[in-house]
Amino acid sequence: MWRGFSYLLKKDFKMMLSSKFFLLALCSVVLYSCYINYVYINLDQDIYPVYLYDPHNTQHIVSEHVTKVDTRAALEEACEDEYSVGVDLSTVTPEVYMLSSGIETTDYLRGIYAEKVVSSGVEEQAEIIGTNDKELKNRREITAEFLFFELSAVGFLGLAAMLFKEKQMGVIRVHGVLPVCKSAFILSKLCWILLSDVLFTILLTLINIGVENGISILPAVLIQAGILSLIMALAGFLCAVCLPDFKQFSLFYLIIAIFITTPVFLAGQTGIEWGWIVYHPMYHLFVGMKSAYFAAPAPAYPYYLICTGVIVLLFLFAHRALTNEMAKEG
Amino acid sequence: MIEVKDLTFSYGKDKQALHSLNFSVSDGEIFGFLGPNGSGKSTTQKILTGILKGHGGYVSLFGQEIQTVHTKEFFQKIGVLFEFPYLYSNLSAIDNLKYFSSFYPKEQLRDAEELLDELEFKRDFLKKPVSSYSKGMRQRVSMARALISNPQLLFLDEPTSGLDPSGAVLFRNIIEEERKKGTTVFLTTHNMVDADLLCDRVAFISNGAIVALDTPKKLKEQNSSQQVIIDYLYQEKREQKIIVTQELKHGIAFPYDEIVSIHSQEPTLEDMFIQYTGRGLA
Repeated sequence: MWRGFSYLLKKDFKMMLSSKFFLLALCSVVLYSCYINYVYINLDQDIYPVYLYDPHNTQHIVSEHVTKVDTRAALEEACEDEYSVGVDLSTVTPEVYMLSSGIETTDYLRGIYAEKVVSSGVEEQAEIIGTNDKELKNRREITAEFLFFELSAVGFLGLAAMLFKEKQMGVIRVHGVLPVCKSAFILSKLCWILLSDVLFTILLTLINIGVENGISILPAVLIQAGILSLIMALAGFLCAVCLPDFKQFSLFYLIIAIFITTPVFLAGQTGIEWGWIVYHPMYHLFVGMKSAYFAAPAPAYPYYLICTGVIVLLFLFAHRALTNEMAKEG
Repeated sequence: MIEVKDLTFSYGKDKQALHSLNFSVSDGEIFGFLGPNGSGKSTTQKILTGILKGHGGYVSLFGQEIQTVHTKEFFQKIGVLFEFPYLYSNLSAIDNLKYFSSFYPKEQLRDAEELLDELEFKRDFLKKPVSSYSKGMRQRVSMARALISNPQLLFLDEPTSGLDPSGAVLFRNIIEEERKKGTTVFLTTHNMVDADLLCDRVAFISNGAIVALDTPKKLKEQNSSQQVIIDYLYQEKREQKIIVTQELKHGIAFPYDEIVSIHSQEPTLEDMFIQYTGRGLA
């Protein structure tokens, strides 16, 4: 039993080596880390510029964050970028002027900020929420997103690509008449994908979050990574066995990327508010990953129960699909 | 070794693939299963090897009902050669054999290199990846894969496909050797020469039903026209006569100077197949 399984592991390792799977994963770590360290943390958006039209000089002390303009037309012109905010004090009732950014919440925040900066300045000490500084917050955020993307995409594609090779060679059918457990055939592949994803997660987290902060969140992150890795790898396995060729698989992958992952990113990363997103299973995995990176409380037990159920179900479907594939004509 | 009674199978509700097959294969017998494409040969073999489930009727292997027989021990006792040489193309012949043999108990395994030598595999290619092999070489490695576990029951699907004539003779000799060792062989083929030379008995299957089953010799004899063609020389001219074999009891009754050849008018297995099924084997 164990001798056979060790040969399955050895064979799958060779298959993964020949498909350059590990090399690709390593390149992804390097690429993502370079982007995070040399590009992303240096990206910063200026706070909304505030323009003040105050012909009667009602405001004697003006914050350095405010730019005075002489006419209403100049105020409107300055706010044409849909980012800047204008405050018009020419009438009895102060008026906030801005072109909408398209997102209601953002516009509301712009208005509040402008009123605050004009009336009292921003020199007041802001209340600090949490322990993250801005850079660490950005690092946690982008690392969580990259990891989610990598595990969703590469876990799905990596195992499927390997299985398509075996399908093309016809060797899956040979396993149908060997004294080997079909579950072991699936498990050996899962072991390598899981191991590769765990190493990927450890490297990406320690490099980009730092050793001290990274180690403290690593157990929670690894649990989320393990869940996502198993789900995506089994989904990839199932699709690769059921779909006849790699072209159809690629099309299916595109559909998954567009209709399954994109809404999760949009809902999680932008101000778009979709009530239905809570029914999207990938959204919960995404939130679980982010929570782990921000050391937020772990998801409730039903989450883990459902994830385990999904993994078991996918495994059973994969086992059944593999049995059917073995019985197909040459 | 194999006993099949009223075997039926259908793919879906209205696609009956097998209609009440009945046959048995004795220990150490080479049993030929002949039929055109889509006749039900592969379906039968898949049921016997345990790949396909959900059949009707009674099937037993090694004296046990098939529903209970497909355990790890069962797969350790059989060897299967597929129609196409399914191998890991990124691994060498030796690595393929090491991998596939790793699932069997060590004590029942044959030496991979010796086996490849018997199959006249070119030694230079032992450690080169299968992707660089010719079809004949791949077929040799596949045969080695089927034989490496010393199976008691061997399922061979088109074993000489892709081989040159000398390779085909070699494979037939190896199958004969297996029979001498007591291995039972279930041979599925289109190749009438293989079936005629190797099989103790053959079954013709057409549209999911067995239409004839007997030894190749008897099948041919039963359908023989009982005639012989005699080529001879008479008064310096070459002549030919067809006579009924019964007439030979009294010797050759016509005048001749020299007999050139005598050919019996026995039909071939392919003739028999066409006669029984109304169509060719292609």
